[in-house]
Amino acid sequence: MATDKLQREEKTIKVSALTDGTVIDHLADGTGLRVLRVLGLDKGTTYPVAIGLALDSRKLGKKDLIKIERREITQEEVNKIALISPEATLSIIRETHVVRKFRPEIPDLLESVVRCLNPSCVSNHERIKSRFRVLRRDSLRLRCEYCERAIAADDVELL
Amino acid sequence: MNSRQSPASPATRAEMAARFVGRDVTSMRDFTTDELLFVLDLSEEFERADEPRLKGKILANLFFEASTRTRLSFHAAMARLGGQVIGFADANVSSVSKGESLSDTIRMVENYCDAIVIRHKFEGAARLAAESTHLPVINAGDGANQHPTQTLLDLYTIRRIHGAFEGLRVAFLGDLRYSRTVHSLIESLARFNTELVCVSPPQLRLPADILDDLFERGVRVREEFNPTILPQDVDILYTTRIQKERFPDPVEYEKVKNAYQLDRKALSIYPTRVTVMHPLPRVNEISPDLDDYEGAAYFQQAKNGVTVRKTLLSLVLGAV
Repeated sequence: MATDKLQREEKTIKVSALTDGTVIDHLADGTGLRVLRVLGLDKGTTYPVAIGLALDSRKLGKKDLIKIERREITQEEVNKIALISPEATLSIIRETHVVRKFRPEIPDLLESVVRCLNPSCVSNHERIKSRFRVLRRDSLRLRCEYCERAIAADDVELL
Repeated sequence: MNSRQSPASPATRAEMAARFVGRDVTSMRDFTTDELLFVLDLSEEFERADEPRLKGKILANLFFEASTRTRLSFHAAMARLGGQVIGFADANVSSVSKGESLSDTIRMVENYCDAIVIRHKFEGAARLAAESTHLPVINAGDGANQHPTQTLLDLYTIRRIHGAFEGLRVAFLGDLRYSRTVHSLIESLARFNTELVCVSPPQLRLPADILDDLFERGVRVREEFNPTILPQDVDILYTTRIQKERFPDPVEYEKVKNAYQLDRKALSIYPTRVTVMHPLPRVNEISPDLDDYEGAAYFQQAKNGVTVRKTLLSLVLGAV
């Protein structure tokens, strides 16, 4: 009974019409709030935002989902999502049509996405954009282009 | 690639030299192995010849952090080749003390010179400086990160003494955590089928990311954690000062500051001569009684610093 109800709720969230905006689906379970935070949507927004947490998913078991009305997310934001939940799917909706559906991909270079954890790195002292080279995607490994320190996924702090 | 090649043909030499014109030297990672060997080969040529090839050129020596050897040797290199030097030796006398950003300082200085040498306490400062100007920028040390001209002079000294890098067994002794000199020398030696031994107190071991990288590349490297016991079977002992200024916690510094000292007695375990290197300044790591030991190479390193800096300045200023 409870499962039926959840499935009905999931269906409701998915099908409710979004005229213009972005749907971020198939976020790994437990990452929804973090994505919300890095997109700056946790501090109040002028656009309606809907979030679903721990929804049943045939593909993932459980998933999170975010719908943002009247806002298409930027490449920089997509890059951040790629670091948090690479399996997510993004749909850009215009006039009720899905005009683009894609998976976030980690680019070779991350600019203004990750903060360098090295307190002596010049990127933490001058007004410059942080810049990281992606060394490995399978088990994420990045290198700061300034101080040259390499960091693993656990140490990634998003801006 | 063998580290001792036959001399380059004039065409190859011109082609290689052209690659360096106007180029920044901020990290050893920017050098391909053939470029690195080219700089060493050319330095052998430049060691003997002092022509006024940089006459009319001005170098800005921007030392935001104190240095004696590196600053003076860049100055000497420029002067030996007929060029002139402007700059400062302390951030307190520069406009940085008034709050000027590094990028602004560089964009101002670029109007006064043809090339810039920078030392700075922040890691990545040389890279940022290079991004702020069209002039060539040479990194003379950025925090605990890179010091490429030190690495080049170390490599030059090693090849001068041992002929080639292949098969050498090199032990690094002391502060392997904060020493930028050690980090970039290890990275460079790892390209040449060398065997590396890292000897340090546990608190000052080589950073995990560097060690992981060496393992991934299949480099023969091992760690030892008692610096009072010297490793057997090595050709070179590369020693470093425990750098007080890099320690966030003074108590940690006190625990390890006298972790080891090399003297003639300590070296008596080696049946044949070993090469003893140190980037200087030394404090207590090397006893003065080693200064006339035939393997002592640390003052030779300081001398070779002028040679490789002459080479690099000539290359980036297009005077080769």
